[in-house]
Amino acid sequence: MKFGKKLWLIFGPVVIAVISVWIVLLLPLNHQRVSQDALRRGSVSLSTNIYHGQLFKKQAFAENYVPFLGSSELLRMDPMHPSVLAAKYHRSYQPFLLGSAGSQSLNHYFTLQGVHSELKDKKIIFIISPQWFTKQGQAPAAFSYYYSPLQAIQWLLTAKDSKATHYAAKRLLAMPSGKSSLIVENCLEKTARGESLTHSDRLLLDLRRHILLNEDALFSRFRLVDRWRRIEAGERVLPKRDSTTSLNRLAIRLARQHTTTNRFGIDNHFYSERLRGSRINGLRDSQRSFDYRQSPEYSDLELLLSEFKQVHANVLFVIPPINHRWATYTGLSMPMLQQTATKIKYQLRSQGFDHITDLTNDSQQNYMMQDTIHLGWLGWLKVDQAVKPFLTEPQDQPTYHLNSYFFTKNWQESLTLQKSDGQHGE
Amino acid sequence: MNDTEKIYSILNDLTGEDLTDKGDTNLFDTGLLDSMATVQLLLEIETEIGVEVPVSEFERSEWETPNKIIAKVGSLK
Amino acid sequence: MINLQPYSNPNYFMILLAALLPIMIGLYFGRRLKIYEALFTFSFLVLTFGGDHWHQGVALIIYTIYQVGLTMGFERYRRTKNQTSIFVSTVLLSILPLVIVKFTPLFPNDHSFNIGFLGISYLTFKTVQVIMELRDGTIKEISWQQYLQFLLFFPTISSGPIDRYRRFIKDYDHVPDRKTYLADVDQAVFYLFQGFLYKYILGYIFGTLLLPNVSQAALSQRYALGGTGISWYLLAYMYVYSMYLFFDFAGYSLFAVSISYFMGIKTPMNFNKPFLAHNIKEFWNRWHMTLSFWFRDFIFMRFTFWVMKHHWVKNRVRMSQLAYLVNFLVMGFWHGITWYYIVYGLFHAAAIILNDYWLRYKKKHADQIPHNKWTEGLAIFATFNIVCFSFLIFSGFLNQLWF
Repeated sequence: MKFGKKLWLIFGPVVIAVISVWIVLLLPLNHQRVSQDALRRGSVSLSTNIYHGQLFKKQAFAENYVPFLGSSELLRMDPMHPSVLAAKYHRSYQPFLLGSAGSQSLNHYFTLQGVHSELKDKKIIFIISPQWFTKQGQAPAAFSYYYSPLQAIQWLLTAKDSKATHYAAKRLLAMPSGKSSLIVENCLEKTARGESLTHSDRLLLDLRRHILLNEDALFSRFRLVDRWRRIEAGERVLPKRDSTTSLNRLAIRLARQHTTTNRFGIDNHFYSERLRGSRINGLRDSQRSFDYRQSPEYSDLELLLSEFKQVHANVLFVIPPINHRWATYTGLSMPMLQQTATKIKYQLRSQGFDHITDLTNDSQQNYMMQDTIHLGWLGWLKVDQAVKPFLTEPQDQPTYHLNSYFFTKNWQESLTLQKSDGQHGE
Repeated sequence: MNDTEKIYSILNDLTGEDLTDKGDTNLFDTGLLDSMATVQLLLEIETEIGVEVPVSEFERSEWETPNKIIAKVGSLK
Repeated sequence: MINLQPYSNPNYFMILLAALLPIMIGLYFGRRLKIYEALFTFSFLVLTFGGDHWHQGVALIIYTIYQVGLTMGFERYRRTKNQTSIFVSTVLLSILPLVIVKFTPLFPNDHSFNIGFLGISYLTFKTVQVIMELRDGTIKEISWQQYLQFLLFFPTISSGPIDRYRRFIKDYDHVPDRKTYLADVDQAVFYLFQGFLYKYILGYIFGTLLLPNVSQAALSQRYALGGTGISWYLLAYMYVYSMYLFFDFAGYSLFAVSISYFMGIKTPMNFNKPFLAHNIKEFWNRWHMTLSFWFRDFIFMRFTFWVMKHHWVKNRVRMSQLAYLVNFLVMGFWHGITWYYIVYGLFHAAAIILNDYWLRYKKKHADQIPHNKWTEGLAIFATFNIVCFSFLIFSGFLNQLWF
């Protein structure tokens, strides 16, 4: 029939296109693997598609890659960066960097979903920045940037009913990201109330997960930022032998070369790009009122700790120093920073997280920082002095005993390290 | 002068071209008439021929050539 | 309660196309299912303005009752009388809600009920147009059912294109024959996929992938060039933003036109290769066409007609300059009451006035000015850059950069 043929000419291509898209999305692609070379580049690329997906993480954590969770300092890839040291000296581990400017505990919690079996009993390095612990805590815009529906769905399908789970669901619902999909939002609301998901909820989420995993398998290997060349450039500068004295000497020499234009010990390039001229005057005393002691971030951190406990991870926590001369200029309070570190350490230690490297008191030392708040040169070496033994030597399996008090507003706002039962802390 | 001659005289005035033999020229596509000149055209038609053309009546496709304008004015008279 | 924003995700298109199917089958067999269409419109309005957008839904209902009452009242009045003062008051009352909405952001401390909703300005364009045509007598009578269908026509309610009442009703009352309808559907499918390409691929590349990066880079240079913030990144931002604005909006408009065609309504197109315009005047005949034509027909032409009829301004050149200024200033204010929208309007008024000077000069000296494909290319290039610069003003980025 004439009109029938015309209809087919109009809709035929559409039907074929729709069917082929569905076929691609529903193919069993979840056993895809990436090459060793891609994995190596992925481990330092800091690309969001890796952070969003799970193809790379899953394979990396099953091998000798160790998750290095952090934020913007991970990008400071000078020759003393952990990825360079591990590659140059063929250490038994290689860092897998997760996180960039703006990613905090809540994002890290969700990015670790979907790789639980690979994380089991693994060691993890976690660099906690005091700068995360602001009055508002995690900024919604930054959260959306690192959030992916796959993370949320993986979590929804495996979450067990608990205080931590309720807390996570509520946090996600408070972000615009949690409302970006109808079905996810709906399931989050149920989870937050402690209800279990229905059979059809699970079916829908499962389908969605399958599609997202296929997208991840098909597309996440593209658009990787290639930073491995910077790692190799760093390797060429490093001395042949992995010795603390020669590394220290080199770090001081490099730091001296790169901080010639200003009195703050800030990298020349950073200084001229971001601070030089009239800008710097505007920043004098600009951080006088900064206070990191009261923040919702403390409870987000607790959520991440519950994740570490769940997968039996053995975690080394690093609290980086800040640039002391810069802090003096901007009026940032050192006592406040010390109290922040104390509060974080109390939360960790009182629950059995004992591997802590607190560098706050190393702030006075020269060449620790590449710029205002980011680790560099000697700072990275100092981190390495804790990381290397932690990762290369056998460690006792820790026992964690979590306290849900750390999820409360009381703790977020507490200035006294006082527990709910009135017992005083350290 | 009859209406047709009047319309050509208005159009020649507005466009600065002699359109008398070019009754099917598209005045908008060629850029001879713009919105401004169109308003003048409507006003001149009102004063010279005595046909009131509301702006709403002005549908470009019905007014795009001299011949169409002549027909349209005739129908509104 | 669920809430879906128009054309925002694949689910929306699936629901929409499924709901369209009965309408399409009806039209294929030569019938328009008016009751079903009314239900269809109602359900999608609930989806858009329900859920946590319910306050917008309430505002829409009140607004619609108000406008329908106003227009029907004027129609009744116009059957027997035609006083200018009544006409002017009706137009003013009709734009009053929009004016309130536009001024509300100036009073951030006022927390009373917000009467705004997505698409209020597009509805206002429609009502003002109908009132003006009632005054001119080109629309003689309207039925409230048809008027509602026109106002609340679902595919275009949130952001246009702006249709005209008489044109819309002609399509609405008419059922195309099968051959014509199939040609429309063919076109609709094409527009739909062109829309996907524009909004979800090109718009995504420019808006989601590139824009945040150039924006950040440009902001990091805010002290460049003696504190003006003028840097290469700012230039990059200008182009990236312009491309994003075009592909996002043109993509959206294509969806609206496509869905209309599926329903046998030929909603006018909004864009016609705007970046290939040879000058600013031509640009406005190619960019957001239904808006610029609305302004041309209901602001520019009426304003000129009125001033010239009263012989207030004699000189034709001065007259057109004044009309452009009024036209683009109103457009600037319509976009929002911020300095950059108003400067954007003034900039375009200035550009089109200068453009007119040049066109007149060119006409006079036609024999001395070369015309070939190189000069045409140059004209297109210059126009493109002037337009992109105006979009940089429009984006509000300078506000962020400087203040």
